[in-house]
Amino acid sequence: MSKTPVMMRSNGTAGRGLAHEGTNWNTMIERVGQNQDKEAFSALFAHFSPFLKAFLIKSGGVTPESAEELVQETMIKVWRKAPTFSANQASASTWMYTIARNTRIDWLRKQNRQNPDDLNADDIYDEREDPTPYSSLVQIRNKKQINEQLGKLPEEQAEVLKLMYFQGKSGQQVADTLGLPLGTVKSRIRLALNKMKLGLMPAFEEGIVKGSSYT
Amino acid sequence: MINRHPEPDLLVEYATGSLSLAQTIAVTTHLQFCEECRNTVESLKDIGGDILQAGESAAVSDGLLDRIMDCIESGAEAVAAPVKKICSDEVATDLPEYVRNLLPEGDLSWRKLTSSLKVAPVSVGEQDHELSLHRINPGGKAPEHDHHGREITVVLKGSFSDEEGVYQPGDFIVREPGDKHRPFAARNEECICLSVLEAPIRLTGLKRVLNPFLSFSPS
Repeated sequence: MSKTPVMMRSNGTAGRGLAHEGTNWNTMIERVGQNQDKEAFSALFAHFSPFLKAFLIKSGGVTPESAEELVQETMIKVWRKAPTFSANQASASTWMYTIARNTRIDWLRKQNRQNPDDLNADDIYDEREDPTPYSSLVQIRNKKQINEQLGKLPEEQAEVLKLMYFQGKSGQQVADTLGLPLGTVKSRIRLALNKMKLGLMPAFEEGIVKGSSYT
Repeated sequence: MINRHPEPDLLVEYATGSLSLAQTIAVTTHLQFCEECRNTVESLKDIGGDILQAGESAAVSDGLLDRIMDCIESGAEAVAAPVKKICSDEVATDLPEYVRNLLPEGDLSWRKLTSSLKVAPVSVGEQDHELSLHRINPGGKAPEHDHHGREITVVLKGSFSDEEGVYQPGDFIVREPGDKHRPFAARNEECICLSVLEAPIRLTGLKRVLNPFLSFSPS
């Protein structure tokens, strides 16, 4: 078994030889999946693992010491699942995010001793493999909206999303953290999603989903 | 036609992983029927990917990549595919494959609550939420009941109605504590639903008692 090439080792500069501005990370995952390409894997590791570590530390319940263990688990899954990666289905960062999220969920469950061997996050989320052509179009359109609008959200909406995404908080926990009524948090979420034109079903628009009223 | 969908904030909680396992299962079950919500969830994960990459970073230790490569090369990452449990209960074939795969091997343990309503618990190893299947005979009525915790119902087969409307396969219905309702199934077909109930901690005298069987004894 050949070891990782020396230039690819260590965190700081690992994989730099391969990565450059605008690196296509989808292609890197495909190279890992199709050719067990260690160079591409090292580049992915170098780019994503510091983000993954920060995400896992911030996400609540994970200690800084365990964070690297979870980065390791996440990256091993990346290697193992790479053959099933499809750029039609998700972009590299979305795919990495999903794997890290599921790794975190399983780890937290293990800490709580809730039958860790029974069901895991991969089982319960059931990620679909191939979207229909219609879904692909919708998702491409949505992604464009997200790229354009996410950075422009009003601070109060961005803050709510950040707490949910980056710290794994529920709407109620966000409300508690910010000292706001739950209805206000729900309304900020809805406004943010509307701005990105997500979930534009008539029901969402009119706020009549299950008869709920947003405040 | 699906008329009832999870609220946007619930979908965000789903995409970010802050729901309980049982609630996550209820949402995934809805997604089996609803392409629109599936698209929304995919896009909500895109936000996760963007936030991940735009967020803070923390340096990882020097040897981490080597340790990972060692694990991969030693084959330690290989996990045997779990043996698929086959649920042989007669309702199983009527259910989406995703739900079927969550059910225990063999028959479900149905409990008759009334002459027209049966309930079978599905264990997911959680104490604060109960997952179960409900089966109402054609034209059957469930007893009027109140909820002590939030209840999510997803229609899997057939349809039922209550004071607020008619619910078809895929519909995702949330009832908050205090919402009284009296569901009844359509006349022509039995109705099968998946339900998730928050099992609250109740105060009885000075002792806090966890009451896991609350949902199975409607008041």
